[in-house]
Amino acid sequence: MTAVNAPTLLRATGVSKSYGSLEVLHPIEFSIKAGEVRGLVGSNGAGKSTLIKILTGAHRPSAGDVWLNGRRLQLGNPHLMMDQGIACIYQHSSLVPSLSVLDNIFLGRQPTTRFGFLDRRTQLQAAQKLVAEYRIELDLLEKVESLSTVKQKEVEILKALALRSCLILMDEPTAWLSHSEVRKLHATIDTLRSRNIAVVYVSHVLDEVFDICDSISIMRDGAIVWEGPTTSIDRPRLINIMVGEKLGKASLESLEQKRKPRGTGDIRLSCHALARRNIFSDVSFDLYSGEILCFAGLVGAGRSDVVHAIFGAAQLDDGALQLNGEAHRFRSPKEAILAGIGLVPEDRRRDGLLLAHSVADNLVLAALKKVSRSGFLSQKRRRGLALRQIRNLNILPSNPDRVVSVLSGGNQQKVLIGRWLETAPTVLILDEPTVGIDVGAKAEIYGQLRALRDEGRAVLVISSDLEEVLTIADRIAVMAEGKLVSIHDAGAVSREELIAKIGGD
Amino acid sequence: MFKRHQNFALLILFLALFAFFSFFTRRFFSAPNIEDILSGYSFMAILAVGQAFPIMTRGLDLSIGSNVGLGAMILFDLDKVFHLPGWASIPISVTACALAGCVNGLLVTQLKLQPFVATLATLAAFRGTVYAVSGRQLYPELATQSVKDPWIRSLEGFLDIGHLTGLSRFVRLPSLPFSFLALLVVAVLAHVVLNRTRLGLNLKTVGGNPEAAHLAGVSVRRTQIVAYLACGLCAGIVAVLLVARFTTATEATGTGMELTTIAAAVIGGVTLRGGSGTVAGPILGAFLLGIILIGLTLMGISQFTQQILTGAILLGAVYYDRLTSDRQKSASGGVA
Amino acid sequence: MIGRLSQLGGVWLGRPGFGLSASLIALVAIFAILSPEFLHIDNLVGVVHRVTTTGIMAVGMTFVIMTGGIDLTVGPVLAISGLVAFFTFEGSASVPLSVLGAIGTGAAIGALNGAAVAYLRLPPIIVTLAMLSIVRGTALIVGGPILHQLPEGAGYEFIGTGFLFGVPVSVWIFLALAMLTAFVQRRSAFGLEVAAVGDNERAAFLSGRPVRLVKTLTYVICGATAALAGLIQSSQVYTASANFGEFGTELDVIAAVVLGGTSLQGGRGSILGTVMGVLFLGVVSSGLNILDVPVDVQLIAKGLIIVGALSARAGTQGQI
Repeated sequence: MTAVNAPTLLRATGVSKSYGSLEVLHPIEFSIKAGEVRGLVGSNGAGKSTLIKILTGAHRPSAGDVWLNGRRLQLGNPHLMMDQGIACIYQHSSLVPSLSVLDNIFLGRQPTTRFGFLDRRTQLQAAQKLVAEYRIELDLLEKVESLSTVKQKEVEILKALALRSCLILMDEPTAWLSHSEVRKLHATIDTLRSRNIAVVYVSHVLDEVFDICDSISIMRDGAIVWEGPTTSIDRPRLINIMVGEKLGKASLESLEQKRKPRGTGDIRLSCHALARRNIFSDVSFDLYSGEILCFAGLVGAGRSDVVHAIFGAAQLDDGALQLNGEAHRFRSPKEAILAGIGLVPEDRRRDGLLLAHSVADNLVLAALKKVSRSGFLSQKRRRGLALRQIRNLNILPSNPDRVVSVLSGGNQQKVLIGRWLETAPTVLILDEPTVGIDVGAKAEIYGQLRALRDEGRAVLVISSDLEEVLTIADRIAVMAEGKLVSIHDAGAVSREELIAKIGGD
Repeated sequence: MFKRHQNFALLILFLALFAFFSFFTRRFFSAPNIEDILSGYSFMAILAVGQAFPIMTRGLDLSIGSNVGLGAMILFDLDKVFHLPGWASIPISVTACALAGCVNGLLVTQLKLQPFVATLATLAAFRGTVYAVSGRQLYPELATQSVKDPWIRSLEGFLDIGHLTGLSRFVRLPSLPFSFLALLVVAVLAHVVLNRTRLGLNLKTVGGNPEAAHLAGVSVRRTQIVAYLACGLCAGIVAVLLVARFTTATEATGTGMELTTIAAAVIGGVTLRGGSGTVAGPILGAFLLGIILIGLTLMGISQFTQQILTGAILLGAVYYDRLTSDRQKSASGGVA
Repeated sequence: MIGRLSQLGGVWLGRPGFGLSASLIALVAIFAILSPEFLHIDNLVGVVHRVTTTGIMAVGMTFVIMTGGIDLTVGPVLAISGLVAFFTFEGSASVPLSVLGAIGTGAAIGALNGAAVAYLRLPPIIVTLAMLSIVRGTALIVGGPILHQLPEGAGYEFIGTGFLFGVPVSVWIFLALAMLTAFVQRRSAFGLEVAAVGDNERAAFLSGRPVRLVKTLTYVICGATAALAGLIQSSQVYTASANFGEFGTELDVIAAVVLGGTSLQGGRGSILGTVMGVLFLGVVSSGLNILDVPVDVQLIAKGLIIVGALSARAGTQGQI
């Protein structure tokens, strides 16, 4: 582990980021020592990626300064940040697949001879030296596209080292890596630490954070809420801080009285041993009418893949599915919708909204039959439907002809929920329904979900926010690493128990 | 092993078709026919190499045929109207084509037009310019005259390798047309640029991962402009060769060539996803199309059928491209 | 008061198509001043008459482009459907049958294009470029490079050269088609689906829209309108030929659609805009004709107009 008296390498003071009046990153203090491996954890939308993007130069902070080795950095220029010694290994590869390892290591900086030709020999020697120094085994002449994912991560690390970087940011470096590959990557990080290179390790996989990091910073709601050495915190406490404990005990108790595990007692959706190769397996659960079943777990646990497979939008390799007692296997969302399922996807802008279209068009998209007669839209019914949902969900601004892209995140999410309410689904699935939404809109959406439940619908909510799960769930299913670990009645399980299950214990 | 020699399968296919036509048609495997293939498709191969550059950067040049027509007409005018000697008119024409290519690059990078729209518009604009500057229309008496400039005429010759090597006593070897020699020069130059210079790497980087290129400080815009410029340069070289061959230029010179060049490049493994490609691939692709079309002609199939076949081959090539990319995606195992 | 007015002006200026209609009016005014006979009713009808085939194809193309696709085959489809109509007419002497045959041919070619794009997920530009060559080659095999003279009488030429209430039948067909498709685009479920697919294909899919079918149908419509244009053209000149709809036809059509405000990225667009775009290009070329501008300069001017219109839009939207 790091020497306590190692010099401070990077220091960020008062760094913040706002968009208009919305401050997504409150002024923070962040520092890291040479040779330190720092874990950065937090739920989606906690501000991790904003902080990382400021450090890579992708975002310019609204205020604050960053010092590296006592020198003030020029911010807001990715290329400059790399020159100044900060490199980033992104979740999505920044390698060129069709080029060799060698060419990727020196991307954009290949040495040339006096005559302008590439100096292969110098390049090869420099690369071999790096490989030997950091004990990374790689065929330098192989094309990147034929390498395994972990090897590609190593190429990215080499690329950073070739720049003489002193700080390497790793954003979810182990997504899609197997256990042995993760160990390999951690061995490489150990080598980096021994060469006095600092690493910021962003990950949702807490095992890894505890395994490799010297210290941990926990972010929540755009601020660093806890920071300290890894040895001074344990996993339950970390999860507790990460997902928040603002909700008082009293309010939890008052909510519990309204809980109705297994709702009316009629099984709406029954899944048995659902599986998709390499993604999830052995997922079995029943969803009752009149209840809210929450899928808790960390990002990457496979929850979205399960619901997409149920909905016919992703491959399902194995397992049996029953809706209202009838066996089904949906080949497309269209079939699932006809059978009475709705899905509000996780990424509003990418998978949900028609951003160039009006609120009304977005609302009617899943229920075109309802507003058309022999293929032609009835303007009256289209408008009527839109106004009904705008009033029902309190969508603002209340003009159905307004382009949906100008609405706030919360109102956009309401539009997507409204889209499904009009198909009157017996089963409604919502994937992370409140990510990036302000508190007021959150409460409204919770109210709406409860109203749906009380109408007798079966509601399935995926959420990574434990507080949210504890607030709205009647029952809680926990998924970890592609497996459904356990199902609990919400009143009969403690927060600590859940945290342990989510962590995979 | 197989990955490193991605043109290997193509070469096998090429040889197999060559053997097929040699076996089933009498005149296919003869010196004159091979001369025909070489002189008929060398310039197509040069254009395919040129087309490979924009495709490598995720673009496309539909104006390449019009650009050839433009270069040819400028050369014709410089010779017949302005009586410039070949040593001056040839470089001017080639430069004009390179500049025309540069215009495409600027439209794509500066005005941010989609490559196909930009080059579809210049396809029309360049062809319009051909008509506008046509010396044959401005001075009708020129229409029947041929280019007699010795510099230009000297570019249309054959190198009798049979005589040169003394092998003609034993076997009749095909003579190598000058255009084939020009192809060899272009190929070597393009290969060196692509594999031995930073520019070549930048081309592949920009096409393979523009975001990474930007982060690594590679100028995406400049690299794209160079790609279109290189394509225009190849069009210019071909324009000169065509004028030398036919001793004249018409308003229709180069019409429809964009299709064949794109087909040749895609067959030659320059994927439309950008980022990869070789020089040998498009050349092989062009000659593969050549032997198929000439072979079928010898078997008595009409030129109209050839048009259908060219289209079908292009469809087959993109479908193959799609299949391989799907396989790669499923091999890397991720979901969105 | 002035504030109110400028606000009102802002609303109007911001409306899609306003810039185009304003330039159209300005253009007509300029040509009218330069050459007063331009405003003569016969000339104005003539302007519309000359753009009917382009206009009919542009209406179909609008659907394809709204899904984010492109169809380069309209030229050869126009040619081959004219030939099909000719041969059917020669064989059966039945006008309805030949009309049906021609439009069926166009629709079938469109279905092939659409299937390759939607089901095999191949890039539209390459698919239709390849099909352009395939259809042209097929047309040449079917009809040869010669002109086929249509037989006299029997009313086939009525489609292209007849008059109703003093206005050419082809103009009526164009207007009727434009109104029908504008209605479909704005008021039908299919119209919304087309725009939804172009706006966000994944969202449309997850909302249960038949994305692949919708995409295929747009190409079918485009093929059918190209065939209709082929019918009109062949009946206008009493001949059918495999060489009709020469290279550049698709450019005119795409230009009209894009000028009309339809985004090449898909999602945004309207048939009415396309009609305006068609009229705009028609006025430009008629005006240039009256002013005796040579054809080649017109070709360049057209290229410049498209580039100008597109880059202006790229500038205002700040995207691709």
